[in-house]
Amino acid sequence: MYLALLKELLRNRSAAAGLILLAVVIFAAALGRVWFAGDPWEMSAMPMIWPGQDMENPLGTDVMGRDMATGLVSGARVSLLIGLSSTLIAALAGITAGALGGFYRGWIDAFLMRVTEIFQTVPQFVLAVVLVAIFKPSVATVTFAIGIVSWPPTARLVRSEFLLLREQEFVLAAHTLGMGDFRLIVTQILPNALPPVIVMAALNIATAIQTEAALSFLGLGDPNVMSWGTIIGNGREQVVDAWYICGLPGIAIVIIVLAFNLLGEGLNDALNPHLKER
Amino acid sequence: MSAAATGSTALLRLDKVVKRFKTGAGTVHALDGVSFFIRRGETLGLVGESGCGKSTAARLVMDLYQPTSGTVYFDGEDIAQADKAAKKARRARLQMVFQDPYSSLNPRNRVGRTLEEPLIIHARGARKERHERVAWLLERVGLKADAAERYPHEFSGGQRQRIGIARALALRPDLIVCDEAVSALDVSIRAQILNLLLDLRQDYQVAYLFISHDLAIVRHMSDRVAVMYLGKIVELASRDDLWRQPRHPYTRALMAAIPCVHPGRKRKEPLPLQGDPPSPLNPPPGCRFQSRCPFTEARCREEEPPLQARADEHWVACHRAE
Amino acid sequence: MGEFLAVRGLRTWFHTRGGVARAVDDVSLDVRAGGTLALVGESGSGKSVTACSILRLINEPGRIEAGEIRFKGVDLLKLDDRGIRHIRGNRVAMIFQEPLSAFNPVQTVGAQIVEAIRLHRCVSRREAYARVVDLLEQVGIPSPAERAREFPHRLSGGMRQRAMIALALACEPELLIADEPTTALDVTTQAQILRLLKTLQTAKGMGLLLITHDLGVVAEIADRAAVMYAGRIVEEGPVSDLFTRPSHPYTEGLLASVAIDDLPPGARLPEIPGMVPSLLAMPKGCAFADRCPRASRDAGCFADSPAFAPVAKEHRVACFQARLAPVYPLRVEKNDAASDAAPALLPPADENVMAVA
Repeated sequence: MYLALLKELLRNRSAAAGLILLAVVIFAAALGRVWFAGDPWEMSAMPMIWPGQDMENPLGTDVMGRDMATGLVSGARVSLLIGLSSTLIAALAGITAGALGGFYRGWIDAFLMRVTEIFQTVPQFVLAVVLVAIFKPSVATVTFAIGIVSWPPTARLVRSEFLLLREQEFVLAAHTLGMGDFRLIVTQILPNALPPVIVMAALNIATAIQTEAALSFLGLGDPNVMSWGTIIGNGREQVVDAWYICGLPGIAIVIIVLAFNLLGEGLNDALNPHLKER
Repeated sequence: MSAAATGSTALLRLDKVVKRFKTGAGTVHALDGVSFFIRRGETLGLVGESGCGKSTAARLVMDLYQPTSGTVYFDGEDIAQADKAAKKARRARLQMVFQDPYSSLNPRNRVGRTLEEPLIIHARGARKERHERVAWLLERVGLKADAAERYPHEFSGGQRQRIGIARALALRPDLIVCDEAVSALDVSIRAQILNLLLDLRQDYQVAYLFISHDLAIVRHMSDRVAVMYLGKIVELASRDDLWRQPRHPYTRALMAAIPCVHPGRKRKEPLPLQGDPPSPLNPPPGCRFQSRCPFTEARCREEEPPLQARADEHWVACHRAE
Repeated sequence: MGEFLAVRGLRTWFHTRGGVARAVDDVSLDVRAGGTLALVGESGSGKSVTACSILRLINEPGRIEAGEIRFKGVDLLKLDDRGIRHIRGNRVAMIFQEPLSAFNPVQTVGAQIVEAIRLHRCVSRREAYARVVDLLEQVGIPSPAERAREFPHRLSGGMRQRAMIALALACEPELLIADEPTTALDVTTQAQILRLLKTLQTAKGMGLLLITHDLGVVAEIADRAAVMYAGRIVEEGPVSDLFTRPSHPYTEGLLASVAIDDLPPGARLPEIPGMVPSLLAMPKGCAFADRCPRASRDAGCFADSPAFAPVAKEHRVACFQARLAPVYPLRVEKNDAASDAAPALLPPADENVMAVA
C-alpha cells in the first residue's frame, strides 16, 4: 500500500520535484553536519567574507565573522525539526478535536468548534509571538507555539471528513455489527479521513518553517540555536553591503517551502486517484 | 385491531413508532405511528417512494436511530431498554444489507478483514476458525476464496453486494434488513443477487425486512407486504391478498405504475397519479394521500383514516376502503 | 424522406493509464425523423458515451477516434467549434438523469431558460420570458409564471425534470437526446414524465434518442430499440419484434430477468451468469461469449467478433447463433394483463397537459 503510494508519487511530476528538492535539502543538511560540523556561533574568520572568496568559508561569513555554511546547515536542521514536530502537534490536536466533534456532534462538537473559532479569529502569527513571548523562547516553546496556532484548520478538515464518513454505509455497517465507538473511529473512519489531512500536513510544514523563520527574525527564536530566520535577522542591517547574508538563508527557505508545497500538491493528486480517472 | 397486537410472539415488532427530525427547514415527519411485525423466517416487504420513511424504518430497526416515541421490540424485548451486553448480543442476530455497494464496504480494508470483523467483535472462534468461516462465507455467496486478499475497488457492483451479504450472514442472524439491496445494480446482476437472497432464506430460515421502491421485486421476495406513503403504512396484507385485491388507491397507483416489458400488453390506464409526493416537512392534513388521491372527499381532508383490518390480516388506512 | 440522424462506425475510446477503454466500438445507429430509438444497456455498456459523442461532449481522456455522425446530411464530427455550438441546445437538445445538477443553483429556472433561448434566437428578454411561461405550461407545470421565478432546488424532483424538458425544448430542437430521463424519479412520477415525453415528441415531430437501462421504459415509449453490450450494439429492431422475438442471447436474458411478474413469487429468477467484461480486458471473440448459454467453439464465438446481420425485417443482430430459437420465449398475452394488474379505477389524466400542438 505505502509502496504503491510512493510509486504513485514518483510518477506525479510535482510530487517528484518536491521529493527531489527535499532530498537535496536533507542530504545537504546531513552532509553539512560532517563538513561544517563546527559551532555556528563561533566567530571563526574575518567578518563579511563574500561567498567564494575564501575556501575556508565557501559561503562566506556574516557580520560577526561566523561561517555562513555552518549556519545554514544548522538552520536546515532547526527548520526541519520545528516544521515537522510542530506539524505533528497540530495534526494530533486537530485530528483529536475534529474526530471527536465530527463523530459525536451535539454539544461536544459545538464546544470544540467554538474553541477552534477563538483560535482562528486571532491572527496566527500574533498569537505565536505572544505565546513565545510569554514562555521563554526555546526550540520546545517555539515548536509548541507554532503547533498550537496551526491546529484549527486541521480540526475543521477532519471534522468535515468525519461528518461525511460517519454517514457512509460501511460505517453504519460496522456500527450495526456492534463495534464500539473507539474502534469505529480508529479503524473505520480515520484511515479514510487521513488522505486530505496528510496533504494539509505537508503544506502545514511549509507554513511552520516560515513562521519559525519569522519568529527568529524578530529575535523570538531559541537564542541557543542558529536558524535561518536568525541569520536573516542578523544580516538585515547589511542588506545593501552584503546581501548574501540575508539572501542565502532566504533562498534556502524558498527551496524548502517550495519542496513541501510541491509534495503536498502531489500527495493531493496521488491520494485522490478518483478525481483523475474517468 | 392493531397490526402490532397480533404479532406479540413475532421476531420483530414495531409499535406506533414515530420518528421526527429537526432540520433547518422545519420538522421532518419521517415516520408517524408505524406498526408492523415480522415472524420468524418470514419476509416482510416494505414498499414506497422516496421520502416515505422506509429507510428510516430500517435504521430504527437497526438501532441506528432512536424513535421519537413508540417502541421497537426484538424477540419480545424493547430494544431501547436493553443494557450494553444485551444490545451487543442483539446486534449479532440482526444484520443489514445496504443499498450502495460502493459505500457499504470500507475501501481501506481487505475483503477478508471486512468479513472477519463481525467475528472478531463478537469473539467467535480463534483466528484459524475465523479464516475458515470467511472462506466459507465467500464460497457461499459465490465468490472465489482469493477475494479475501483483495480490496473492494477490485470488485464490480454485484460482487460487492455479495460481499455485503456475506458480512450480514457472518454471524448467522435471525433477521436481515435489506434496504434497497438491489436497486443500485444492473438488471442482469439484480437477478443473481435476488436468487442468492432466496437461497439463503431457504437454507437458513432467515427472516428479511425487504425494503424497495419496486413493487414487482417486493412482491417476488415477500410473504407479506406493507405499503408506505409519507411516513405511514397505508396498506399491509399478505402478498397474494394485496395483489388480488389492493384496497388502498395508492397501492393501486403503484401497481399501475410498474412499467410492463411486454409491448403486446401495454397498460391501458391513464396516468396513475398526478404530481409528486408532498414534502414530509409539512404533510397535508387529514389523510396523507388526499392531495394526490383521485377519490378525495371532504372527510379525507379533515380526518386521518386509521390502519384498520378489512379482512383477515389485511389492514388498510382509507376511509373509502370496504 | 432522407436520413435524419445516422451514426456510422462510431468509436469513442478512453485513453486511461490502465490502457485503452473502447467505451464505444464501431457503433452504427439511426434515429428516424419523428421516431424514437431507445438505446438500451447496462452501466458501462457505452450507451451514455454514445449519446454524448453525438453532441461531441466527450472530454479527455476520451476521444472520438472514428466514425460519422450525420445529422440531416451534415457530419457533426467535421463541424468546427462554432458549428457544433450552433447545433447543441438548438437543433439537438439533451436532457439528463439528474435534473438538479443540470440547473445552475443560483439562478431562477426562468432566467436559465431565457438564457438558453437568447443563446440561439435573437429575441428580447421580454419575448423570451413569455416563451418560458408557455414552455413551462407545455410540460405540465402548474402556475408556470410563478414557478419560473423559483430557484431549482425549490422544485420537486418531477417538476425539475419537467423544467429540464422545457429547457431542452426552448429552441424547438429537431432531435432530443434523453439520457436516463426517469431513472432518478419515483415510479409514479416516472410514468408521468414518460407520457409527457411521448406526447411532446408526437406534437412537435421531434426525433427522440432515449438512453435507458430500463426495458419497461423502452416498451412504453420507443418504436425501435438497440441493445448495447460492452461498447457494441448487439441487437437492433422494432420494439414489438425485439421484445417478442429477441434473437441475441443477451437481449433474451435481459428480458427474462425483468419479466419478474411472469414467475410464481419466490421462484428463482432466470439470471445471466457472470458479469460484464472490463473494457480494458475485452475477451477475444464475442464479448458476451463468457456468459452466453449458446456460445460454442465451433461457431467461432470465442475467436471472432460476430458481424451485424439481419434476422427479420429491420431486425438485425450480432450473433453467430442468432438463427436458433429463443431460449426464453415470451408469451404475448391477449388478456392485457388485467388478470393480475390493478383494476383501472383511476380517472383519466388531466389532458390539458398534452394540449400542445
